[in-house]
Amino acid sequence: MTTYPIDIKVNGEWKQAEVTARETLLDALRNRLRAFEVKDGCSQGDCGACTVILAGRPVNACLTLAVQANGKEVTTLKGVGTSEQPDPLQKSFVEHGAIQCGFCTPGVVVSAKALLEANPCPNREEIREGISGNLCRCTGYTQIVEAIEDAAAQGRGGVGEREDA
Amino acid sequence: MNDDRFDVIGRVTRRQDGHAMVTGRQLYSSDISLPNMLQARVLRSPYPHARIAAIDTSGAERLGAVCVTPEDVPRVKYNERQVSVPAKTYRDRTVLPDKIRHVGQGVVAVAARTEALADKALDALDVGFESLPAVFDPHEAMRDGAPQLHDAVMLGETVLPIERNIACSREAVEGDVARGLEEADLVVENEFTTGRAYHGQLESKAVVCRPEADGGITVWATTQSIHNTRQLLGILFDIPLSKINVQRVPIGGSFGSSIQMNSSVAICVALALKAQKPVKLVLTREEDMYDHCKYPSNIHLTYGVKRDGTLTAGHLKTVVDIGGHNIQAYPLLGCMAGWFVSLYRLPHLKFEGTAVYTNKAPACAMQGYGNPQVTFAVESMMDTIAEALDIDPIDLRLKNYVGLGETFWGQGPTVRSVIRSCGVEEMLLKGRAMVGWERRGSPARKTGRFRRGIGVGRGFHTSGTGAPTPGEVIDYSTAMVKINEDGSVDCLTALMCHGGGTLEAGAKMVAEELGVPLDRVGISPSNTRSTGYDVCTHATRGVYCGGASLLRAAQDVKKILLDFASRIIDVNPEALKVQPDTSRGQGFVFLPGAPAKRISVAEVAKTAQIKGWGSIIAVVSHRQVNCPPCFVVNFVEVEVDTATGQIRPVRAVAAVDAGTVINPDLAAGQLEGGLCRGIGLALLEDTTYKPDSGELTCGGYLTDYKIYTAQDMPSLEDLSTFFADTYEPSGPFGAKGVGEAANNATAGAVANAIYNAVGVRLTEAPITPERVLSALTREAEQLQQGR
Repeated sequence: MTTYPIDIKVNGEWKQAEVTARETLLDALRNRLRAFEVKDGCSQGDCGACTVILAGRPVNACLTLAVQANGKEVTTLKGVGTSEQPDPLQKSFVEHGAIQCGFCTPGVVVSAKALLEANPCPNREEIREGISGNLCRCTGYTQIVEAIEDAAAQGRGGVGEREDA
Repeated sequence: MNDDRFDVIGRVTRRQDGHAMVTGRQLYSSDISLPNMLQARVLRSPYPHARIAAIDTSGAERLGAVCVTPEDVPRVKYNERQVSVPAKTYRDRTVLPDKIRHVGQGVVAVAARTEALADKALDALDVGFESLPAVFDPHEAMRDGAPQLHDAVMLGETVLPIERNIACSREAVEGDVARGLEEADLVVENEFTTGRAYHGQLESKAVVCRPEADGGITVWATTQSIHNTRQLLGILFDIPLSKINVQRVPIGGSFGSSIQMNSSVAICVALALKAQKPVKLVLTREEDMYDHCKYPSNIHLTYGVKRDGTLTAGHLKTVVDIGGHNIQAYPLLGCMAGWFVSLYRLPHLKFEGTAVYTNKAPACAMQGYGNPQVTFAVESMMDTIAEALDIDPIDLRLKNYVGLGETFWGQGPTVRSVIRSCGVEEMLLKGRAMVGWERRGSPARKTGRFRRGIGVGRGFHTSGTGAPTPGEVIDYSTAMVKINEDGSVDCLTALMCHGGGTLEAGAKMVAEELGVPLDRVGISPSNTRSTGYDVCTHATRGVYCGGASLLRAAQDVKKILLDFASRIIDVNPEALKVQPDTSRGQGFVFLPGAPAKRISVAEVAKTAQIKGWGSIIAVVSHRQVNCPPCFVVNFVEVEVDTATGQIRPVRAVAAVDAGTVINPDLAAGQLEGGLCRGIGLALLEDTTYKPDSGELTCGGYLTDYKIYTAQDMPSLEDLSTFFADTYEPSGPFGAKGVGEAANNATAGAVANAIYNAVGVRLTEAPITPERVLSALTREAEQLQQGR
């Protein structure tokens, strides 16, 4: 099968991969670059578990061709923050019990990150819309929304200063 | 909720695995990648019922693929689920089938170097099918002359002929229902159905198998029971259990979908043994949807009741469409009987259940195991009775519910225990105030396009399947606890966490008992070779049964700790206490009132090691001899759009009586998630089939199946949860379960809320806009004819 070389900047680091024309960004990230923090929940754009930020916008990696990411910047969950330097969102998810099985978490946190970068002060409706592409079967979403709301408040420099929508 | 009796129990703490999950370091079965690993794919039947006429794998083999066909696999008949005792286990399937019984059933499996090559090999397979007439409706399946799915199955070691596609049936009788109905002032009856909902766990089922040099295998699989998976693989492939190591891997949600050893596990092992290389098999979402679904229900329910609201008799008849294979229909029917008789006191009762094969995906446990189905019918009927007798629905429930001191059939007729903790009244009264029950009003007085209604649903789930005597269901857990030489603690158990914080709760119990700071209590990685048997993390037993085994081991360890400490500080061990000192990250053993008689847990453990007294370690296998109900109450407010039939949940109150709550934030999360799935069962979820082809109408797409997104749930201000203030005497630190209870009462509450809004009783779930509109139209026509 013919392959094409691509360069992707994954979480700040340029990487090279040889991909086929039909290969999805999800497969390239997982199988070739071993980015297993990007989860594969359905491979068909339904669940959002594979959400990554591509050139500043959240996308389903399973609906994006790997070649479309050539020369672009991709942020996965590991690019949002690390154990040593977690993002306020990541800390907030743990503190709010917003994680149960954890399989949707990489996609939800990445969607939330993209949301807060575009809109640092979202109201609850905007948060719910912002993560509406991410299915979570465990939590009923309540604690997830609370965690994002709290992280947004922290980003603005204070917990408890948020306005309830 | 902080409880002064405890240091860590009941306090909000950060879960140990949380940081791995939010930073992307948590790996699931589908993330396992081994050197030289082959990727597997399975050719699946496009026919719902067919004979396999011919299989040619030469094309695939020419591409370098390893193939297994029904000829290559053991012919042992097995049941994916190994929880019932062998004599009560129905066995009707093989690793690859002798005949096709539903669309999506695997026929031939291939493994190749890459997924792309495996896909090519799949295309190169040549399989001939002879299509047979199929049957999709359980009532049609029971008619004479209907296509037969199975001629005979195994029950234990006995060959059991199958007639009219009836997989099994069960009856339970107490008193005389006919007499009870005669004694009633009012007899009500109705039919209720619920759909074949799909688990929709976010991680589709996955498995990796690595053959080992000694002829054994190592397996990483999505499963709720590593030990049952190992036992079954041992039987199927004739490998000593000492050479089968099933690793506990985090699971990406389950809800019952991996309560059994999924069929893909055995297929993957067959491929790996043949290839003598590691093989990975991850189901596509479509394959996963054809693998399992929730047991649907079709319930005919009759109640007799006195004018004052006292129930005199209850009769529940159900037919369950189990699909192509019988996974656990026999215990299911027993449990449905148990849920029915344990909801409300019935002087005379009868339960009749029949499980029927059809050419559809096999049904298995899904959160509640027949309970949401039965509770939907019963709770709907309670409101019907309340209205007919002009009694407040809450008062009717308070009058008849099975509570303190009464008998609970926690797992069908053979598993009974006495209720020793009960928060039903507290939850009903508090929830009534929180939801604003007085606002509900009468549907007759509601007008306009959008009408709101409030409904209540009450229920419970069992906490495990323990009982004083051994029953038809196996239930015990094994745990090892040890204190390390620095005063930290390791907990080893085969218990699973499905996300609700089960292992976290176990660690908290151990920390509490040993007086060691929680962050020094570790949950060890676990596999079948290093742990004792644990039946399965199912039946809402994780905290109550599994936690109790950890607590028992911690109690044994504490005895050793105090004994060793008494040797060092020369105090009678009976007089010693242990308490954590979080600032020093240590537990301390001390004699109250004597500051000099104090020593750290680390120093005791290290001294014991140096002096050769031995490790501070204990292993316990523990069976709970009760299965107390964790009660639940849901209040739901909905808005019905009478023009479109759309129903929008707008407010909810969810409460659980879980005894002592170990992880309050995680338990609240379980309530919220359970409510979400319960509303889904009520309004949205079913796997329907195309009648001509036997294919799923959703085509294997979650978007077309539909589950709730964040935008569909009641918004934050409008969703409240709370816990009843109870203590279960038989539970570890007074705890019972939460898990399945969280969704059991929801569908009934939703149906009652719809009735309160529009005055029409919807009995078929999912209550889709189409069903609402047609019911509203029917009602309007009847009103017109009445005039």
